[in-house]
Amino acid sequence: MPSSASARQASNALIFLGPAILLLFALLVVPIVVDLVVAFTDMAQTVTIGEFTTRQFDKLVRPSKDAWFGFELRGSFYRALSLTAIYVFCTLTIFNITFGLILALTTTALSDRLGAFFRAVWLLPRMSPSVVYGLLWIWVVDPTERGLLNQVLINVFGMEPINMMLDHPMVLIVMANGFIGASIGMLILTSAIRSIPKHLFHAARADGAGPMAITWHIVLPALRWPLSYITVFQTLSLLVSFEYIFLIMGASRSTMTMAMLAYTKTLAPDIGSGQYAYGAAITLILIVIGMATAMFMWRMSNMKALLAKPKIEVQ
Amino acid sequence: MARVDLQNVTKDWGTAVAVDDISLDLKDGEFVAVLGPSGCGKSTTLFMLAGIYAPSSGDIRFDGARVNDVEARDRNVGIVFQSYALYPNMTVLQNILFPLRFQKVPRTDAEREAREIARLVQIENLLDRRPGQLSGGQQQRVALARALVKKPNLLLLDEPLSNLDATLRLSMRAEIRRIQRELGVTTILVTHDQIEATTMADRIICMNAGRVEQIGTPTDLYRAPETTFVAAFIGSPPINLIDARLAGDTLEIGDKRLRATGAGTEHGGPVKLGLRPEHIREAATGLAATITASEPMGRETLYTADTPIGSLHFLEATSMPRLAPGAKLSLTFDGADSLVFDAATTRLMHGVCAHV
Repeated sequence: MPSSASARQASNALIFLGPAILLLFALLVVPIVVDLVVAFTDMAQTVTIGEFTTRQFDKLVRPSKDAWFGFELRGSFYRALSLTAIYVFCTLTIFNITFGLILALTTTALSDRLGAFFRAVWLLPRMSPSVVYGLLWIWVVDPTERGLLNQVLINVFGMEPINMMLDHPMVLIVMANGFIGASIGMLILTSAIRSIPKHLFHAARADGAGPMAITWHIVLPALRWPLSYITVFQTLSLLVSFEYIFLIMGASRSTMTMAMLAYTKTLAPDIGSGQYAYGAAITLILIVIGMATAMFMWRMSNMKALLAKPKIEVQ
Repeated sequence: MARVDLQNVTKDWGTAVAVDDISLDLKDGEFVAVLGPSGCGKSTTLFMLAGIYAPSSGDIRFDGARVNDVEARDRNVGIVFQSYALYPNMTVLQNILFPLRFQKVPRTDAEREAREIARLVQIENLLDRRPGQLSGGQQQRVALARALVKKPNLLLLDEPLSNLDATLRLSMRAEIRRIQRELGVTTILVTHDQIEATTMADRIICMNAGRVEQIGTPTDLYRAPETTFVAAFIGSPPINLIDARLAGDTLEIGDKRLRATGAGTEHGGPVKLGLRPEHIREAATGLAATITASEPMGRETLYTADTPIGSLHFLEATSMPRLAPGAKLSLTFDGADSLVFDAATTRLMHGVCAHV
């Protein structure tokens, strides 16, 4: 009977898609809605809602006749936005993409065993607990003569000890996040390089191409899609990442990115926390920025075409 | 265009020997097929010639000069791979231009040469397409153009026709042969398809388990296969190989005795008698046979018959099966067509013939 068949189809769809939809709803839609609501309240330490208000956003922007859209960014918010931009851009371009690509290219060029060894070394930071990793960085950049970096600077280069946390805080958090972030790019790109058919390399060698030409003409074109993926994915995850910044720098003004600001104002174990509505407002802006960035990059990298069915027949 | 020499070339990966001490010698402009079952080391041999693998021992020479340590890119060898290995991100024209880029050919000359070679393989109208937009036959022509555009010393074809359908394969066979003659380039074709080898090549190198079984013209390999392996590999349907025992001037097969002639019959012992299906025919007298199966093959019919010397396949040039299973008849063959192999060495005993 057609009706029972269609009912069966519907129940099958529910069984297969149900858990995923439920998970998506519980972990993505609900938090965004909650955030949206809380952002327009006065929720604070007591976790109660007294009134609905736009007061939280007044802490971030103020009305101005000269500015675009009639609003001007307040100092701390402007600072958080620019620090986020620097942090995301530098970590992404220098480490996650460039360094990840270099690691993938060099470790695949080595013998299998040696390549695997180096990849394992670069995976170590990701495998170690965040707190341990953060602590190691704190020891490395310790401003006294005992810090690893300063020992190297003093004993090897005969330089003066430096205080990274004070003088170059952004360099420090970019490096700390980059050394971890590079491994994801490395893994994805390594597997992409490995999946290039061997005979393409053979053909290129027979055609007269050297290692540089093979990298440029054979390998890099094959990495277009994974590189786009890494760019979009890592941009989004860097936008909201704060754990290493917090572990290494604490609630320092010099590295107060958007995500750090939201955390500091709400859950961080410092004075000034517990301003849940304020944190929610910051987070809401971060969500909007994330969505806009994702959509922009989707367009830029033509990811729709990359996700489409390939035109080449698989042999 | 080059002469190619292999001397005692061996390739092993640890304990696995892929190519075991092979020596061969190709004349300038010759078309040679390397024929053998999969895993016999034929592709490995090809890759050693291309410089993609280095031989473990032995020498490879182009025009007398040792090229063992010459990089693939400096050997000026053109290869067509089984999968064509076209660069998916480049257009057809860019694919063909790719080898010229490294020969520092000026752009305008390179483009002229590419278009010339495209005309030769008849793909002038496809130059702006990408490989993904081409059919198998078109991709194969592009691969051929890319291999030929740099005027290689040596053209290597690795199973180039195996991904094409039957009709296309037939026309590409003639096409490749025509282009090869026109350019006079020394060519090595690797294939497991005996028809491909016998129709295209001047000479065939038959390989098995990393060793060369026989080198000769297609006719040599068919008329006088040096080993039972070659006898079984060349010819379709395959040859009948019958266990027998040579004792002076008789050939004992079970209870049946055939007459043996020729020099060397005095060395008796276990042998194998080879009879090609197309050489066995019905006669008034001969081996008493009962048909057990008949298979129409189009132009011919292949019969299987029980005879006193065992089960035999034989061909008859009739499209309609004439004999039904159970039919009784007498079979015979010409002594000159029979092949006798030493069972111990599997080698052909030249001049020894069997007669009904």
